[in-house]
Amino acid sequence: MKPIYIAASLLASAAFASPTMARDLIVNSYGGPYEQIIRDAIITPFEQEYGVRVIYDAVGSSSQDYAKIKATNGRPGFDVVVMTASQSLQGCEDGLLERFSPDTVPNLAHLNPEISAVAGPCGAVHELQYLSLLYRTDMVSESPQSWLDLFEDDLTGRVILPSFGNVMAAYLTQLMSVIHGGDLDSDIDPGFEAMTRLAAQSVGFEQASAILESYIVDGRVWAMPFWDGRAQLLVDSGAPVDYVLPEEGSVPLIATLNVPIGAQNKELALAFVDFFLEKTSQERWVEGYKVGSARADIEVSDQAQDRKITSQADLDALYLPDLLSLASNLSAWGERWEREVVPAAR
Amino acid sequence: MSVLALKADKRRPHGPSRVQQFLPLFPPSLILLLFFAIPMGMMVGLSFQQSDASGLTLASYERFFSDQFTLMGMARTVVMSGLVAICVTIMAYPVAYFLARSKSRWRALVFALAIAPELAGVVLRTYGWLIILENQGFINNALIWLGVIAEPLPLAKNMFGVVVGLTHVILPFGILSLLTSLQGVDPNLEKSAQILGASRASVIRHIVVPLTVPGIVSSMLLAFTMSASAYATPAILGGAGFKVLATMIYEQVLFYIDWSFAAVMANVLLVMMLIVALIGTRLEARLHQKLHT
Repeated sequence: MKPIYIAASLLASAAFASPTMARDLIVNSYGGPYEQIIRDAIITPFEQEYGVRVIYDAVGSSSQDYAKIKATNGRPGFDVVVMTASQSLQGCEDGLLERFSPDTVPNLAHLNPEISAVAGPCGAVHELQYLSLLYRTDMVSESPQSWLDLFEDDLTGRVILPSFGNVMAAYLTQLMSVIHGGDLDSDIDPGFEAMTRLAAQSVGFEQASAILESYIVDGRVWAMPFWDGRAQLLVDSGAPVDYVLPEEGSVPLIATLNVPIGAQNKELALAFVDFFLEKTSQERWVEGYKVGSARADIEVSDQAQDRKITSQADLDALYLPDLLSLASNLSAWGERWEREVVPAAR
Repeated sequence: MSVLALKADKRRPHGPSRVQQFLPLFPPSLILLLFFAIPMGMMVGLSFQQSDASGLTLASYERFFSDQFTLMGMARTVVMSGLVAICVTIMAYPVAYFLARSKSRWRALVFALAIAPELAGVVLRTYGWLIILENQGFINNALIWLGVIAEPLPLAKNMFGVVVGLTHVILPFGILSLLTSLQGVDPNLEKSAQILGASRASVIRHIVVPLTVPGIVSSMLLAFTMSASAYATPAILGGAGFKVLATMIYEQVLFYIDWSFAAVMANVLLVMMLIVALIGTRLEARLHQKLHT
């Protein structure tokens, strides 16, 4: 055989051979600061305990990951993925995600049942955040206590809002609806009316959380709704910001671990999900990523206890939206948002 | 002699067979079939399906064509792409003419500058424009500081900002497209016209422009199709209220998870671009015919 054919054969084998070993677990999640935190708090301890290698895939947002799962009919090339409760429900309905049970993931039994029910049988809730009110400590004279403070005159032109492509917008509309006499689903009109007024007060909309936070960090805006986990990371970075859980309450962002139905290393994937839900793992995650947990039995620092969802009382104080109802309303609400809320912005 | 010549012809070896002629077309055709034609066919099929209905349905098409919001998105796509096509071609033409005719030592530098924007990623360039155009951006801050304006001009988060950003992104393609066409025009024609007394402007108007109509049409078609399918620039420079088909498709696929409706939008976009390409090529053929009669 000519050398050129040998070289071509070798190249072809290298190109088409699977780059992962049988005991490698591919975990898809987020990049940025998240990646280092999840490596330190979860992945490295898991690798040590199970003697396996975890390949971390930071490509794609959760919605892009879900699109990939859907496009590949449940065989996206990763074994575990971090998504949200909405995507867990949708994926379960479409038969694209593995169903969990206490037999396969024993630590599910320790999660708050109401929160678990929101995510459905295909989502293991590993993290909770709540929608907080983030503000500039050097620009706002008094710490805001209510969502209604966003409407104050001194914040005119100093508020940024999420665009509807960010699920935060729908949650904020639901919250505003409850505050103004409506409810989370069927009577949403007061929410849209309030958001239209708030849009007139805002500088506009941005979709990506990284862009949204840049507005408050560089001082273009002084207040905005934001997930408490990222808000805490901003506080820790030294930016002159702080955040509150407003007195009217909040809605949670329920993050879930999911296993695609066609995952290659399903057994190890289930072990990883269970490991993430262990008490000690959840404690490391709450302290590391500054988020809440659906386990009420964790023991964390006073600071985490004060500011994060770590107890049954914290969980009880949240409005839990019906995500299936939200999913069915989302398209109509999106169109309404574009017609009513967006044109009202400055 | 003629008998000998005929005999010689018969002895000449045959040219490549029909199979041999088409053989080089096989690999690209296969790639196009596998990675374009089949996925496109699947997308067309998807547009007639609904997750909550069995069989084929026109529901997503009915929704698209009865919804003012999506029709506005389509109209906005056409207007935006048309404006970019005009701006790119008008701005690219003088640069391409300089590159085709000049023997200046600056020619290489101008050529490098013309294609330089392609060296930076589209997202990077678009954010650059945002920094320049936004309310607290370079232009508005400078004009306010100079006392020219009191309130910021709306330069970003609207059609203007998107057209500026896309023109910058697509300009190198327009230049390269026109350059090829201009290099095909014999410079002696221009010299002859000038010797016979035609002014420079007259030479450009009556000789150069008519002879480069194929290049102009090609530049406009290229700019139109690239703009119509662009996502990053309209999403970043257009803001939340600026919806074009590309950004709407992205939302339907990733946020609303309504792939049928997204497929309808993608098909509409494709048909729209095919219609524009058809009009462009017909127009070019008509102008070409007019020029040669």
